[in-house]
Amino acid sequence: MYKLVVGTVKGGFVFSSEDRRTWRAEPQIFRGWKLTAVARSRSGRFLAGVSSQVYGTTVQVSDDLADWRQIEAGPAFDTDSGLKLEQIWRFNTATDVMYAAVAEAGLFKSDDDGDSWHPLDGLNQHPTRNSWVPGAGGLCAHALLVDARDPDRVWCGISAVGVFRSDDGGQTWTPKNAGVTKTVADLEHPDVGFCVHALAADPDDANKIYRQDHMGMYRSTDGGDSWENAENGLPSGFGFPIAIDLKTRTLFAFPQESSEYRMPPDGCFQVYRSRNRGDSWEQSGAGGDGASFAGVLRGSLVVDSEDPCGVYAGTTSGTVHISADGGDSWHELRATLPRILCVEIFSNA
Amino acid sequence: MPEISVKLPSLLAQAAGGTRRISVTGNTLREALDDLKRRYPTVAIHLFDETGEFRRHVLCFLNDTSFRGLDSLDHPVADGDTIFVLQAVSGGRQQAGPPT
Repeated sequence: MYKLVVGTVKGGFVFSSEDRRTWRAEPQIFRGWKLTAVARSRSGRFLAGVSSQVYGTTVQVSDDLADWRQIEAGPAFDTDSGLKLEQIWRFNTATDVMYAAVAEAGLFKSDDDGDSWHPLDGLNQHPTRNSWVPGAGGLCAHALLVDARDPDRVWCGISAVGVFRSDDGGQTWTPKNAGVTKTVADLEHPDVGFCVHALAADPDDANKIYRQDHMGMYRSTDGGDSWENAENGLPSGFGFPIAIDLKTRTLFAFPQESSEYRMPPDGCFQVYRSRNRGDSWEQSGAGGDGASFAGVLRGSLVVDSEDPCGVYAGTTSGTVHISADGGDSWHELRATLPRILCVEIFSNA
Repeated sequence: MPEISVKLPSLLAQAAGGTRRISVTGNTLREALDDLKRRYPTVAIHLFDETGEFRRHVLCFLNDTSFRGLDSLDHPVADGDTIFVLQAVSGGRQQAGPPT
């Protein structure tokens, strides 16, 4: 059984399917709350980042995606840090040490399956922090990668700041943005001011990283020490999400027309894919018959682990587009949801 | 010690174990809220921010009086009093200068 979880500004929507083509709506979860992140830990426990502009932000856990329980020791900045927890934008559950990337920009770590979370001050109080400025989406950490073969190596992306890498399990962090065009010039700390939107890594080699950035599509073969442009065939380098098929290494992206316009370039839903590790990109199958001017946010494009892979995209207009054949063809879920903030797919759920 | 009822908005019922009404004890509002933080930490996190202050858009009443109309949280409470937790109606924007 596949379970597709769609996080929106007004709650979470769960759809189940046996064949990834016919989907059944399950009862809504977190009605009235923003669902910003969903993940499953290695133990099988589901995690959700849930927030409200009024009532704050918490981590919720569940064994079945239906009944949820709020944990007591969720992410919280120290009282004297001057920082406030606004959203949880991403969990990384690749290893038993889990991470949560949040706004205001920060990172938390859990080593007890999500029951308690601890701030990583090596990043949260980074020496460059006084040069961090918020982008249009706020000052937020949202992209996370962990090297499964060497779990001490962790990458974290922060909008309008850049990518940082830790080689010691999150204690210390170094900006890794060489080769990327800067968005915010800062004289005091020239190694920040880069606007990463999303990251994806090759499952065989964590040094091969793909980066959808505000300023274009990039890739690195040295763990982020250097980056090169990789947008041959894309109609625009601008976009938010990037995802990778763990079996074929096919990359998926949703380009949008420049930072100013932020709409699909041709006025239609169109996912692009690269089947040669970013050397070139091509249109995947058509996404629908009608015109579409909606965007896809950084956490709203995911790939499942089947062969061929399923690809799932949720738009800012609340539509969900699904391909069950690696992007060759697409169908649209028969539901219009609130603005979509994140999408996750779970097999055997 | 006086027992105070706390009436929660429906959004916070799950955090209170599925109920919108919980009980706390205290001789003052501050003691009652401290009891709430101790006994219902999953509720308290929704009412108070990292500094321990009320979240900006959380509005509380003691019976029919807004907390903002009280001298301080040391205001005495009595058995049977009710604290109502509400979502403040907020909006508009601050005027940039004096009206002309």
